[in-house]
Amino acid sequence: MKTGLFTAAYQRLANNRPAERELACLRIQFPAILLPIQAGDLLAGRIEYPPVGFSPEPGGLGYYCQDGQSEFWRHESTAAKTRAACPAWVNEVLPSDEWTTTSGMAFPLYRMGGTQLDYGKLLRLGVPGLRAEIESRKAATTDHQARELYTAMSGALDLLADCCQHYARQSPELAPVLAKLTTRPPVTLQEAMQLMWLYALLSGTWNYGRMDVYLGPFLCRDLDTGVLTEAEARALIEALWKLMKAYDNQFNNRVIIGGRGRPDEAVADRFAFLALDATRTLRLNQPQLTLRFYEGQNPELMERALTILGEGVTFPLLYNDDVNIPAVRRAFNVSESEAEQYLPYGCGEYILNHRSVGSPNGVVNLLKCLEVALHNGVDPVTGKQVGPRTGDPAGFRSFHDVWRAYTTQLERCITALARQERVEYEVTGATAPFLFLSMLYDDCLETGRGIFDGGVRYLGGTLETYGNTNTADSLLAIRELVFERGEVTLPELIAACDSDFRDDPDLRRQLVAAPKYGNDDPAADDMARRVHEHVCRFTRDQAEKVGLHSYLVVIINNWANTLFGRTTAASADGRHAGQPMANANNPSPGMDRQGTTAFLNSLVQLDPSLHAGAVQNMKFSRSQFAQHRPQTSALLDVYFASGGAQAMITVVNRADLEAALREPEKWGHLMVRVGGFSARFIDLPPDVQQEILARTLNE
Amino acid sequence: MNEPAGIVFDIQRTALHDGPGIRTTVFLKGCHLRCCWCHNPESWEFKPQQNFGREMNVAQVMAVVRRDVRYYARSGGGLTVSGGEPTAQFDFCLALLTAARRDGIHTCLDTGGYAPIGDLLALLPMVDLFLWDYKATGAELHEKLTGVSPELILDNFDTLYHHGAKIRLRCPLVPAVNDSPEHFAAIRRLRRQYPRLDGVDLLPYHASAAGKYDALNLPRPAFATPIPEQEALWKSQLAAND
Repeated sequence: MKTGLFTAAYQRLANNRPAERELACLRIQFPAILLPIQAGDLLAGRIEYPPVGFSPEPGGLGYYCQDGQSEFWRHESTAAKTRAACPAWVNEVLPSDEWTTTSGMAFPLYRMGGTQLDYGKLLRLGVPGLRAEIESRKAATTDHQARELYTAMSGALDLLADCCQHYARQSPELAPVLAKLTTRPPVTLQEAMQLMWLYALLSGTWNYGRMDVYLGPFLCRDLDTGVLTEAEARALIEALWKLMKAYDNQFNNRVIIGGRGRPDEAVADRFAFLALDATRTLRLNQPQLTLRFYEGQNPELMERALTILGEGVTFPLLYNDDVNIPAVRRAFNVSESEAEQYLPYGCGEYILNHRSVGSPNGVVNLLKCLEVALHNGVDPVTGKQVGPRTGDPAGFRSFHDVWRAYTTQLERCITALARQERVEYEVTGATAPFLFLSMLYDDCLETGRGIFDGGVRYLGGTLETYGNTNTADSLLAIRELVFERGEVTLPELIAACDSDFRDDPDLRRQLVAAPKYGNDDPAADDMARRVHEHVCRFTRDQAEKVGLHSYLVVIINNWANTLFGRTTAASADGRHAGQPMANANNPSPGMDRQGTTAFLNSLVQLDPSLHAGAVQNMKFSRSQFAQHRPQTSALLDVYFASGGAQAMITVVNRADLEAALREPEKWGHLMVRVGGFSARFIDLPPDVQQEILARTLNE
Repeated sequence: MNEPAGIVFDIQRTALHDGPGIRTTVFLKGCHLRCCWCHNPESWEFKPQQNFGREMNVAQVMAVVRRDVRYYARSGGGLTVSGGEPTAQFDFCLALLTAARRDGIHTCLDTGGYAPIGDLLALLPMVDLFLWDYKATGAELHEKLTGVSPELILDNFDTLYHHGAKIRLRCPLVPAVNDSPEHFAAIRRLRRQYPRLDGVDLLPYHASAAGKYDALNLPRPAFATPIPEQEALWKSQLAAND
């Protein structure tokens, strides 16, 4: 794609005609950035985002420019406009966008992440049917903005048809399939998959919703009428999986199967089984196949899932509807039937299928907030005053003073991030209607508004929190050693952390020996709950203040626990400076020492109805999974029945991980769950590898 | 009434190898035997040593055991009292098993069987399953390897069996030490002679306790960990027809 053409198209149309401008830019972008069909592709659709372009997230936020070299885009990119539109006080609290390299408490993220489209509608109506709906709505309204939107949407469907033809010219085999998509709704599984996939690529979504629901009927019809054999159907699904892998976003690419709220479970289950088989055969780290389940669902799905997990595939990710649906209902304040349509996307955030957005547009490091609180507002890593002066710790008389200083630092960050999120939606919504998203999102066609411009029914946001566990363990160690047992003064403890325990290894041993979350220890779990409930409730309460339907914590993980750990000083839980923090809701690596049941009992202490998703990583030995399968199933059964919302399971041997460190060339097949994503172990940075190795192996 | 206290040297939750299902294993300190392959040398002395062992009463132990009752119920698991030789702390062992029984928790007693028969018969009503060590065949060898002669153990076994005890044999195996053909023949004979036996487990030697021997200033056992083929051979010897 020629960047100059794209920029010119953008400049040609003024800001007050965003729909027309978006369409003009999309026409430059597509099919130019679609990559050729490759030998063996059973479906068309590969893509590579250019340095300058338009997308909700994959290339960047809205109109984006990746290299920062262009003078024009330096001010005109949607991210730059968002930053410029934030109030000064927000920019003061969030001074940097470089969260992966800079020491700081909180950072904004620029993206419209996690959208999930109504593929069922797309496949039911096909391109002509969708066009007909748009045209009839256009004819029925006099609203100028809506008419402009509908016109641009029609043009976007023309563009989709152009892209079908673009690919049809490349492949005589696929040409008949692609040609039909422009003239009628899909009939066969291959047609349905092709339409869904091309549409997804053009929309810039990379989470694919309840695929068993929308593809199940096509699969069953093809199988029952002899259009496809089961092997052929599986080959098609594997082909789609490979294209998702080629799209290559290990943090997203979610495919959901199973769960409540599927209109025809038997039909959907047939697709779900084949999806599991495809994942088992290919052993790729994408798509992130996700199994929702509930009491009463066909138990063979879970049985198959555990078998595959036992083979070290790390998929499917398991989500317990019996816990999650009531939790989502409360957290999102929606009806039961709406909550049934929750979907985990990305690294583990929840969204309501084609009805809500909840882009995670902020990150906050709780442990850094505590660190700053213990230095009267100064970041000890940089020496800069980065937060309010919450008091000299030498004057703290009780644990309450520590708690108040910590929450003051944290709450200021959350307040700014909530406002930032709202501003990001406003700027993005005013900039572009995101035609492909809006056509398949509830209420956008009905209201004639773009998804982020008043169209979506539930405009929500999410905030990624990190360091939760280390913060709780640190606070408890401070309370016990300083204020209850008087073993050390607070300034002495802080000085020891500042010097990374160099002169005080004995104190570090005492800190490590203090109770830790993950051991079914009431004191440690109480503190974890206190930290959890504070950050979740305070965040939730910002929604109304900034005008979002919801604003919720997510406790997920890509490798932010490791990245943030690098810029976080030694902490009062005994963690060394620069070391990774605990992963998501999990105990600190190696600190859960009382067995799997104790670990699981701790996990269920944290109320899931206060947030929009948390991930629980569990590492089991291969021998336990193979030789003690009934006990392992029982462990998971009890965990889920006791309130466990989610499990991401890696089955691996410690010896394998160690061998892979020594001889990476021989261990390309070894897959692990890092946090909210899976990866080949050998591809991970050394400190992430060490963090995974240090996690407790349940055996 | 004073609840008896005992010396406990470990409580292991999510134990998967000490009886059926998911269990919590409570290890009591003190043993009259000195098996040369022992993987719990810290259990030999009755008194606490270094970090090994602390006094706990029944209520304290049960507070830990009870935390996993849902896992026991789901998996058919429960409490296992092990050691050391758990029957050597007879009062505490009985009180613990009784407390578990009162709570409806399944109980296993992991014992070497070297105890007064009166004690074992007193424990019997509180034990759902005995995990009973069968360590070596031949009086001389048994005494050489464990420090005690086997007659009492075998008599106790017979008596308990005929009092209706449910018993599972556990056979620690060390290559070239106690894995003779006569030993396997004896195990097979026991199986025939006591048809209500719950089963026989082979426990291949593992050199995982070296660090504990070092910490206690005891000489490490010098046995090799058996290779997988060895274990397969043992299994076939156990399965052989006479």
